[in-house]
Amino acid sequence: MWNARGKVAATVLTTAMLGSLLAACGNNDNGDTNGSTNGASNGGSDNKPVTLKLLHNWNGSGGGNVEPDMTPIAKAIKEKTGVTVKFEYTKGSEVEKINTIFATQDLPDIYTGPAWGGELDGVIKAAKEDQLVDLTGKLDKYPNLAKEVQKENVPPALYDKAIGGIDGKQYMLFQNQPASDKDAMDWLYGFYVRKDIATKIGVDPQSVKTKDELFNFLKKIKDANLQENGMPVFPLGGFSNGWAVGIGNTMFYGSDYADKGDGTLEHVFFTKPYEDYTLYYRKLISDGLLDPETFTQTDPIAKEKINQGRIAVLAAHYPAILDASKEYVKSHPGSDYIPVGPLERAGAEDNRPVDLGIQGNNVTVITKECKNVDAALKLLDFLASDEGFKLVHYGIEGTDYDMVDGKPVAKKDVFDKFNADTTGKAKKDEGFGIGLESMTGLDRTNTLGGDIWADQERTAAMDSARKILRPNGIQVISAYNAGDFISKSPQWETLKPSMDQIGDVWKEAVFAKSDEAALKVINQLRSQIKKTGYDDAMKFVNDSLKGKEVVKLQMAN
Amino acid sequence: MTASLLWKRIWRHKLFYLFMLPGIIWFFLFSYVPLYGVQVAFRDFRFSGGFSGSPWAGLKYFHQFFDYYQSSKLIRNTILISLLKLVIGFAMPIVLAILLNEVKNVRFKKTVQTLSYLPYFVSWVVVVTLMQRLLSQYGGPVNNLLVSTDLVKDPVQFLNNTSWFYQVILGSDVWKNIGWNSIIYIAAIAGIDQQLYEAAKMDGAGRFRQIWHITMPGIRNIAVILFILATGSLMSAGYEQLLLLNGPATAAIGSVLDVHVINAGINEGRLSYAAAVGLFQSVIALVLILTVNRVARKVSDVSLF
Repeated sequence: MWNARGKVAATVLTTAMLGSLLAACGNNDNGDTNGSTNGASNGGSDNKPVTLKLLHNWNGSGGGNVEPDMTPIAKAIKEKTGVTVKFEYTKGSEVEKINTIFATQDLPDIYTGPAWGGELDGVIKAAKEDQLVDLTGKLDKYPNLAKEVQKENVPPALYDKAIGGIDGKQYMLFQNQPASDKDAMDWLYGFYVRKDIATKIGVDPQSVKTKDELFNFLKKIKDANLQENGMPVFPLGGFSNGWAVGIGNTMFYGSDYADKGDGTLEHVFFTKPYEDYTLYYRKLISDGLLDPETFTQTDPIAKEKINQGRIAVLAAHYPAILDASKEYVKSHPGSDYIPVGPLERAGAEDNRPVDLGIQGNNVTVITKECKNVDAALKLLDFLASDEGFKLVHYGIEGTDYDMVDGKPVAKKDVFDKFNADTTGKAKKDEGFGIGLESMTGLDRTNTLGGDIWADQERTAAMDSARKILRPNGIQVISAYNAGDFISKSPQWETLKPSMDQIGDVWKEAVFAKSDEAALKVINQLRSQIKKTGYDDAMKFVNDSLKGKEVVKLQMAN
Repeated sequence: MTASLLWKRIWRHKLFYLFMLPGIIWFFLFSYVPLYGVQVAFRDFRFSGGFSGSPWAGLKYFHQFFDYYQSSKLIRNTILISLLKLVIGFAMPIVLAILLNEVKNVRFKKTVQTLSYLPYFVSWVVVVTLMQRLLSQYGGPVNNLLVSTDLVKDPVQFLNNTSWFYQVILGSDVWKNIGWNSIIYIAAIAGIDQQLYEAAKMDGAGRFRQIWHITMPGIRNIAVILFILATGSLMSAGYEQLLLLNGPATAAIGSVLDVHVINAGINEGRLSYAAAVGLFQSVIALVLILTVNRVARKVSDVSLF
């Protein structure tokens, strides 16, 4: 009897527990959205609380130890839009991440990531395969979003390729394109030498102009047999996976696609200057002038070398160099990295401004799994507004900054707090630098008041480097890029896997045992590229670009 | 045997069958369920269509692989590295097991055994990071030792160097797996009747004779079985290790199929192509196992089936 009762009681209890569990599972989405009912309804228009998952597909981005949705800035955004943003950050390859989320259908509500390369290809593929929300006709209600995808606010080839629409439907939002020339961010890519080392070997870095002079400069450093803590100093080095030691390419050719001489274009990989560029770097490696570990090292190891003072010349953008060398410079005054050159630019007249493509642009899309499309659009529209831009970049008015004569000015105590913290945690605690900046529409940093958090020493260093490296100023590239057209050719599906090998094959050639072996490695890939439809694809590119202005000179940015 | 008799027998030995259950579930989930996805190799994978809804592509991706100018290099490198691992990596655990069996000090024996297992549980990421530190040409302790003891004049570039690539790959593989792989041989040796050793001693057999005539035959069957199984991985050289230790300087001899599959599938988003290459590896592995199994059955009477 007791047994039977016990069984009945156990069954009832088990059923009740199972029922609660299933109910909890079923309510998970609603629980997350805090009562938002229908995803596509007006959840965003009346600020009902909504939680949206956002994938920030930038390797290296992150909230640190901060809960990104609990910062004062995140709370202010929630107050304005009703949206709590749950960030997910990418730790590894961005291309891998986008391929993985769509293949496994583990989709965020909002995706934001690089507007180029394999990442953009992944977004386009997702759009073509109905994985994204079609925004056609939806943007009229969101003026700030409509503005950022207007044709004049997007590089022309990118507009034709993706932002303007895929198969007649508009899926993508586009951010961080400079609103005006003064907002264009010049990252000052270049070769930078430690001042004390340049002095020690008695060479004025500004006297180094040509590729041969750069080679001899590095050789002199090598011959000086410099040591730090008993370890040799490498003449030239970079950051993780070789970033960005290869930027010497502009001493050999103008851009990725070159004029064959008859007005048609070919990929520079098939040209003599590309061979010269490869053999130059091969010589840097074989003569011990370039750190052989640079192409395989991780970021911590790269930074450790810089912090140990073991890299004489660094090739990268200047902000990264300033950040990485901060500690070493602090303990070794006079060891700041200063620009080398300006170096010669193949195909450019001496008085030509530096041609820059604007990087840092973001593509943002709403996935088909989005719980509340209107709320997502409302959030993005707010972030792209002037109010949202100021909130994300300057913080909360009265707390973080004040408006003085119509311009934002950082509060001194907040500025000092941020400046004293070399880890960047203090800024993240407030809500800066956790990824929201990627979605603030057109870049209006200078139009709206400049970077109020930049420390004076850093600003002075950037200005000084700019004066040296950009004696004729810069010009933002607005011409068509052949690379955007080749990916629209019918041959692209078979051609892309071969073209994707160029970077790896270049590195392999650089480490080849001889010049002949290096050229053999390059020629093998050339044959493969040809075999997979290159000639037809280039015909398509040349036909498509007839009568259009094409990018022929471009510096890293 | 009728079905009811079979069930009766199973029920009678239910405890033993219960022991088998976790293994069966594991194989079902991780080896048989994924077979459903193999069809992707013959389809143009689309995010919207998934495994079964994407359009058929026939052998397109197999053709793509064999048209790829590096496919023969990838196959050659994979087989060469696997063969080296098979020959060296297969023998070393047997040697360790026999050596450990000869150690009479139990405390020392246990300590060595435990220490030899430990590297197996360390991930390749950690192992490679350690190697980068230890073997570095610039201030690495190994080179410091070699130079300070005048064994070499200049520091040796162990990593990213084709001259040292195979040694580094094999050395690290043996170091990481030798302890773990020796467990099964130690267990087999423990199962050998001790009276055989005593009888051999009385007949005047020394230690080497005992090893040769008693220990070796005692573990022969298990060694053959493991060898047959190991041939199945001949087309797989080890993804993590090669991904981390291979670089542009060693790409000519270090690029292998496993890393190619991961790069094509995950980094380039060519899932159908990656599945096709993966399937090619598996089919070759299956053929190898069947062949070696057959040869082993004929030569030694020991085989998997």
